[in-house]
Order: sequence, then structure tokens, then C-alpha cells
Amino acid sequence: MNSPAVPEWTGVALSISLVAVAVVIAWRQHLGLAREVVIAAVRAGVQLFAVGAVLLFLFQHAGLPGGFAWLIVMVVIAGQVAGRRGAGLHRSRYVATGAVALAAAVTLGVLIAFGVIQSAPRVVVPVGGMVVSGAMQATGVTLARMVAEARGQRAVIEARLALGLSAGDAFAPHRRELMRTALIPTLDATKVVGLISLPGAMTGLILAGVSPEVAIRYQIVVMYMLLAAAVMAALAAAELGQRMLFTSAQQLR
Amino acid sequence: MTRFDLRDVTVRREGRLIVDRVTATLAAGRCTALVGPSGAGKSTLLRLFNRLDDPTSGSLLIDGAALESLDVLALRRRVGLVGQRPVLVAGTVFEELRAGAPTLERERALDLLARVGLPEAMLDRAGVGLSGGEAQRICLARTLAVGPEVLLLDEPTSALDPEAARAVEETLCGLLRDGLTAVLVSHSAEQVRRMADDVLVLREGRLVESGAVADVAYVNGAGGSHP
Repeated sequence: MNSPAVPEWTGVALSISLVAVAVVIAWRQHLGLAREVVIAAVRAGVQLFAVGAVLLFLFQHAGLPGGFAWLIVMVVIAGQVAGRRGAGLHRSRYVATGAVALAAAVTLGVLIAFGVIQSAPRVVVPVGGMVVSGAMQATGVTLARMVAEARGQRAVIEARLALGLSAGDAFAPHRRELMRTALIPTLDATKVVGLISLPGAMTGLILAGVSPEVAIRYQIVVMYMLLAAAVMAALAAAELGQRMLFTSAQQLR
Repeated sequence: MTRFDLRDVTVRREGRLIVDRVTATLAAGRCTALVGPSGAGKSTLLRLFNRLDDPTSGSLLIDGAALESLDVLALRRRVGLVGQRPVLVAGTVFEELRAGAPTLERERALDLLARVGLPEAMLDRAGVGLSGGEAQRICLARTLAVGPEVLLLDEPTSALDPEAARAVEETLCGLLRDGLTAVLVSHSAEQVRRMADDVLVLREGRLVESGAVADVAYVNGAGGSHP
């Protein structure tokens, strides 16, 4: 049988049989999950259909401005999600959105300015998606740790303030710690890439028939850009977050 | 010599009135005690003197200048705070003493240890493992290292065992005799009589009695404890 490099629509339809297998197993084993499996499968299908339609429209009609508009939508959504991790921090959603936006803008800006990636929507949207998602993770952890640290270490921070230290100096040791925590997942993922996980971009390229030599070139760029995006997002979230943590009179909120 | 004036100082937190239009003068070079039952607003009021918090309305003046008109970091170096529980913020005792005075030299650090009644050998010890009394003295020395004109004392001995409490109190009394202005929050009428010159009595956030320590009934009740 001569299969295509990428599934045809008939192939997609046939793959529904796999969902049926999952449903039958869930039903026969009384997992109480059969309904949920169906809902999840339908949801995934509908979401991907919708995204496919949007991307198709963007690539064919909206051009680069459309691509960037879509990126902005992603940044706003990511800002909401990461901002929720910082619940309790003054204006945490603005902080998160700002951090994700900054990290995405600088990372993509460098990649485009150096001509590393094409400035076409077909490239900018998926690459931007990866950057935004990486930045969102780092921002979320940074803000969550910041809120926890400000609550748990309030006495220590106020003791330093009472000695006449600025808010920045009083919070500096905590800030170092929370930024380290925020960057650990990205650092570990970077270390083991290819050994433990075959990352998405590379897998996708290989599946689409691209040679592994080309696929790893792309993946190396992706890993480096994710590293930069996470570090910048954590830094920006820590910097902006810290300003919200303290009043202009150097008081811990 | 540093004087404080409080004018209609009011603090509301989440709709609750904690400090209610307190107007008072705290004389320079004297120790003024803030006393009253739990929840009277004493500690809340104390936090306003070095602007760890700001009043909702009203104002505090230091030597006639509104606190918020001054550089807040400079103000906090003028007005030092010793809290209820010793909170260590650095590694060794020497680092602790340098937390607010990064250029502090060893010589002067040793002087400070002597001033708070601790042995010189303690300077290079780690902060962890110190007793409560020792840690509280380190906190006091750390505050003195900055060179404050005023000491805010928020129940400075209440978390210590009786022996350590008495010793720390004696150290504090020695410092007050040197002319530092002090504001003391205390639950112990005996401590107030031993340490304070003047008393402000708060109840439900309001100033209900004030005067020289000998004239204020609240700290001179029968048996020497609070009514």
C-alpha cells in the first residue's frame, strides 16, 4: 500500500476508528469516560478545523498584518492565563500580558531582523505561537512564585524595608530565587531535547517528509528562541510584577 | 531630637476603622508608650511612623515636616523599627548588621554587639541557631547600625522568655537614657512604667487618655497589670 506523506481526508475519517476503540474500551471497562472521550475527540476536531480555517484565511488573504494580528490575540490570551497564576498581585493580568508581549516581540524581532525565519504569516504564526506559549509558562510561574514569596516572606521583606532598603533591594534575594524556579522547566527541556523528547517542530517536519538534517536546524533555532523567550518573560514579569508588589512609597502591598 | 505630631490620623482597612482620628504630640528625646487592649490599633499606628503603611486620612509630622514630603528611605533610616519577633534577613551576624548599613566596618560592628550586650565572638556566627533573645538583640543592633534618631519598638520583648525579656529591656532602657526618641507598643504595664516617659491609651482606635506615665490610670491599675 502506497501511503501519502501526509494523511488524506479519507485517512482522517478512518482514524475515527481509533476514537471508537478508545470509546469501546472505556465503555467495556466501566471507566465512566466513554462520553468524555467522545466529547474530547469532537472538541479536538472542531477546534483544529476552526484553527485550520483561520490559518488558511490568514495565509491566503490577510498577509503579514493578519499574521501579526493573530499573534496579538495569542499574546492577550496568554496574558490572561499567566495573569491568573498571579492572582492577588495588583494588576497581574497587565503584568503578564506585558511580559509575554515583550518576550515575544524581542524574540521574533531578532529572528526576523536577522532573516533566520521568513516574515510570512505561514512562518510567523506557528513560530510566534511557540514563543508565546513558552513565554506564558515562564511568566505564570514567575508571578505565582512572586505572590507566594510576598505572602510567605512578608516579615523578612518588611524588616529590610524598615532598615531603609529600597523595594528592589529588599526583594532582590526573593526575586533571584523565583526567577530560577521559573526557568528550571525550560532549562531542563533544553538539556534533554532529542534525548528524551523529540520536540514538536522537528517531529512535524520529519513527518512532512523533510530530511532530519533540515529538521534539526529548525529545532535548534526553536530551542534557542524558547530559551530566550522564557528568560526574557521571567525577567519582564519579575520586573513589572515587583513594581506592582510595592507602592511608590516602597511599601509592600 | 525628634518630635512627632499626629493630626487626625485615621486608618481604615477593608472598610473597618482601625485608627480613629488620633491627634497627639510625641515629645523629642522621650519614650512614648502606645497602650490599650488587643485590637486597639497600636501596632497599626506604629507602622505609620516609618511609613510601612500610610494613614487613610490625617497626617504625621516629624519635626514639623509631613512624613510623605520626605524621602521615604531616608525617613526609615532616621526612624528604626524593632519588631515583636526577631526576623533575621541575612546569613552571619556580621552580614545581618550590615543589612541596612552595607559599609559598616568590623570595629563598629563589634561596638554595636557590645552595646546590645552580646559577646564579640558572635560576629561571625550564623544567624540560624541563635536563641530568641540573642536574635532580638541582633535585630536591635542591626537597627542601631543604620544610626536612627528614633526607635519604634513593637512589643520588643513579648516573644522572649522572661529572663531574655528582662535583659533585652535593660539594654533598651540604656539606649533610651542616651536620648533616643522612642515609641513603644507594649502589653505590659510594668514594662511601660519602667521604660516610658509618656503614655497614649488607645481603645477601639481612639485616643482615650494621655499624659506622663505616672498620671495615666491605665498603666497604674491595681496589681500593676492592665485593667
